[in-house]
Amino acid sequence: MSIALVTNLVALLVMPFALTGVINRVKSLWSGRKGPPIFQLVYDVRRLLRKAPVFSHTTTAVFGIAPYVLLVTSVASALITPLSGSTPFVSFPFDFVWFAYVWALGRVALMLSALDTGSSFEGMGAAREATFSTLLEPALFLVAGALCAFTHSHTLEGALALRPHDGASLLAWIAALVALVIVLQVEVARMPVDDPTTHLELTMIHEVMVLDHSGIELAAIQVASAVKLLVGASFVASLLNPWAGQAGILPALACLTLSLLVAVLLGTVEALIARLKLRTVPQYIVVAISAGLLALLATTWQTGGVQ
Amino acid sequence: MPTLLLFSLAVLLLGAVLCVVLRANRASAWVSLLTQAVASALTLASVFPLLRGAAPFEHSWPWPPPIERVVFRVDGLSAFFLSWSLPMTLLGTVYAAGYLKPYFDRGRHGGPHFALLNLTSVAFVLIYTVQNALVFVLGWEIAAVAAWLLVIWDYKNQKVRFAGFNYLVSTHVGLFVLVAAFMLLHSSTGSMDFHAFGDFLSHPRPLRGTIFVLLGVSFALKSAFFPFHTWLPRAHSAAPAHVSALMSGVIHKAGLFGFLRFTLLMGRPEEWMGWSVLGFGVLSACFGVLYTATQRDLKRLLGYSSTENVGIAAIGFGVGYLGWSWGVPALALCGFAGGLLHILNHAFFKCLLFYAAGSVYRATHTVDLERLGGLAKRLPHTAGLFLLGGLAISALPPLNGFVSELLIYSGLLGSGAPSSQDNLVLVATAALLAFVGAVSALSMSRAFGITFLGNAREPGLQVGTEAPAFMLAPMWLHALGVIVIGLVPEAGMLLVRPALRLFPIGPNADAALAPLAAALWANRLLAAFLLVAGVFGFLRARRARRTATWGCGYTAGSERMQYTGSSFAAHFARIFEPLLPALRRERLPSELFPQHSGQLATNHVDAVERRIFEVLGRGEDLVVRMSESIPEQPRFAFAAGLAVLVLIGVLLLESGAQ
Repeated sequence: MSIALVTNLVALLVMPFALTGVINRVKSLWSGRKGPPIFQLVYDVRRLLRKAPVFSHTTTAVFGIAPYVLLVTSVASALITPLSGSTPFVSFPFDFVWFAYVWALGRVALMLSALDTGSSFEGMGAAREATFSTLLEPALFLVAGALCAFTHSHTLEGALALRPHDGASLLAWIAALVALVIVLQVEVARMPVDDPTTHLELTMIHEVMVLDHSGIELAAIQVASAVKLLVGASFVASLLNPWAGQAGILPALACLTLSLLVAVLLGTVEALIARLKLRTVPQYIVVAISAGLLALLATTWQTGGVQ
Repeated sequence: MPTLLLFSLAVLLLGAVLCVVLRANRASAWVSLLTQAVASALTLASVFPLLRGAAPFEHSWPWPPPIERVVFRVDGLSAFFLSWSLPMTLLGTVYAAGYLKPYFDRGRHGGPHFALLNLTSVAFVLIYTVQNALVFVLGWEIAAVAAWLLVIWDYKNQKVRFAGFNYLVSTHVGLFVLVAAFMLLHSSTGSMDFHAFGDFLSHPRPLRGTIFVLLGVSFALKSAFFPFHTWLPRAHSAAPAHVSALMSGVIHKAGLFGFLRFTLLMGRPEEWMGWSVLGFGVLSACFGVLYTATQRDLKRLLGYSSTENVGIAAIGFGVGYLGWSWGVPALALCGFAGGLLHILNHAFFKCLLFYAAGSVYRATHTVDLERLGGLAKRLPHTAGLFLLGGLAISALPPLNGFVSELLIYSGLLGSGAPSSQDNLVLVATAALLAFVGAVSALSMSRAFGITFLGNAREPGLQVGTEAPAFMLAPMWLHALGVIVIGLVPEAGMLLVRPALRLFPIGPNADAALAPLAAALWANRLLAAFLLVAGVFGFLRARRARRTATWGCGYTAGSERMQYTGSSFAAHFARIFEPLLPALRRERLPSELFPQHSGQLATNHVDAVERRIFEVLGRGEDLVVRMSESIPEQPRFAFAAGLAVLVLIGVLLLESGAQ
């Protein structure tokens, strides 16, 4: 119990920065560059914390509050996620419902802060974020419902402990992995959905919403995104981890290594694949919904249909 | 106790008469407020013992035929609905006193309007307590006609009259269906008493399903379920803000009350009834929310959101029905508790949102999203309250909407169904509910962001002052309800529990709900952290250095270039284009050097309303074509006529034989 708490805490404090750094390093290596240090985000945040913010005349209190709401919701979602493979800080029945709506709250806060600037670019980013999230949420619930049906549990931790033991559960497991990777890519604004390093505002989603943020507020947003990345990556890692559910140093290390591998995967995808056209992004998310439906259908095969 | 209830009826009626008689608007307003306050206090006093667990009470009087006997019966369900309907109508009347003041200043007589608000409360007391079909219909009709007259406050506007007429016709179509159901019941039981209806309905017989469908359609029309919702957006955008609020939040809940009342009379439902309620709920929630995403008119948008929210409540009731018919008390508990609590929550946040929209209208004289913007700086209270209501209606924690939806989710995702196929459908329903939540978040971010944030999209928009205390006070009270039920759901469950006990929810209902308490603690912690974050961010925002919005290198940006309501929803609307038909009127310049200015107007129309007229038009064509072809072939006409006559004869003989 206490070991899990310590490993979770370490994961929460170190991994968000490490994962972001690993993605950037992998991208650099693929493109033949040396790349920034793994913990570049720490330096960035430290620099931003020393800067005084500049707000637009147009903005209201919403703009100032939103970054902190986003940070609180990201950290809150991390608290119920098994970051190091087992025993999250908090776990309660139907915590995944709470999880989805807490993420939605953070998303709404960021969207409103974007609209608060009166910038057409930021409005565009907010509209895209809102549109894609409407397709993403059903995918998340389909996967969660299917995993819960297989594992007979009602918590995030229990659902992620699914291990394939027959054909039906193998299918559900693979489908869940596919869906979760897509959810991760969309939620943390990664390729092929969103290009975090693009220089053309017209094609941005997440980055365009934070154009006007500066100083500590920008640091809060960047840390919040990094924590979301950790949460999403540990979903996939927990599902992959052969020792999931066991407390201890080794299983935790395995899970954290898997999270890093997920970051390597994201970086590789980002380096090798071009961004999708914005019109085709919904179709990409529908793949996640279909995978979720497949996982759900597999639950009826497992129990042998009509009883 | 029934005497208190009767006394409240008398007070309300007396107040209504005084309101009409008194000439000064101020006097009418105070009489209405005072009588409603007294009536609310009396009603609360009479239902209070029930909220603490006392047995239902009833009182009956002999009455001349055809009614014979009027029975007032207050049980848990009545207590639940009475406990908030009258106080909320009172708050609406307080709001009306502030909202209508500009009209009064111009010499408009407001007495009848206040009298109608009193009559609405009278209708609640009748509908929620009487046990006689005729008196029930009387209350039903009072509510309908009062609502119609309240809607057409601005009767000199032709659009408003049309919207009112549309509502009047729709609500009476619903009444016909209700009367048909009552006639069937009366002819089978020979009584107009609900008790006799219950005896008849609780046994399985073919007529039971028919009556269930008839009643369901009637109550669905009252509560504006999809596809019976077409009157609703029109009425809500035409009515004064407090009338929209009361209709959406309080009056139309009578439809759901009727549904629950007859559910209780009917007893254990069949499985198909549960599935159809669930399906109806999903349909309403999905279509209602899709339409909220594209509306230009803020009040129309909120109107569609009512269809969405009654749909969510119906999903809860569908789960409850299924749990009842399968004999799974845990499922029935989650479903009915979630549905009932959602009704209460919806009353809180929907009234709040409509009141805030009314404050916007009062300040700007428009609710068109394409013209508004930047109101948060001029109307800070209204903006904050609208945001709170919008977050609550999107079911975001830690507010009240989340609590009722969590209850419904726990039913849908709790694997409580007997077979895995049934569970599969329930999980898929949960995914659709998640979709509804996400689209609702989109619509409310859009409604709030476009109206209150950024700059005014119409450069010359005149913005008045913040709402007066009479309008702000009801909003703050509703906001308080939104927060309190979010953080301490027990406050809401206190009202819900007496109603819930009437359903088969198992002996240890409170113990069964205990696992959800953890989520509530998570909500409270989240609220505490959000508060800290909010205060911190607010203080920092006040001290920050100010400059222009970053224009991405473009320096000639203007207010007209901001994202608008239409552009915000455009991407979403394109994905769901088949379900969200867009109407486009355009006259574009064609020549190389245009001599005339072009124009373009886009609007998202109601698919059902359009399709109804299309289908009706086509049906007429069909009849015309058939009737045209008949006289050309006299033999065919003769044969067809003969066939119809024979059919009628056979049917008559059949019924005679029975």
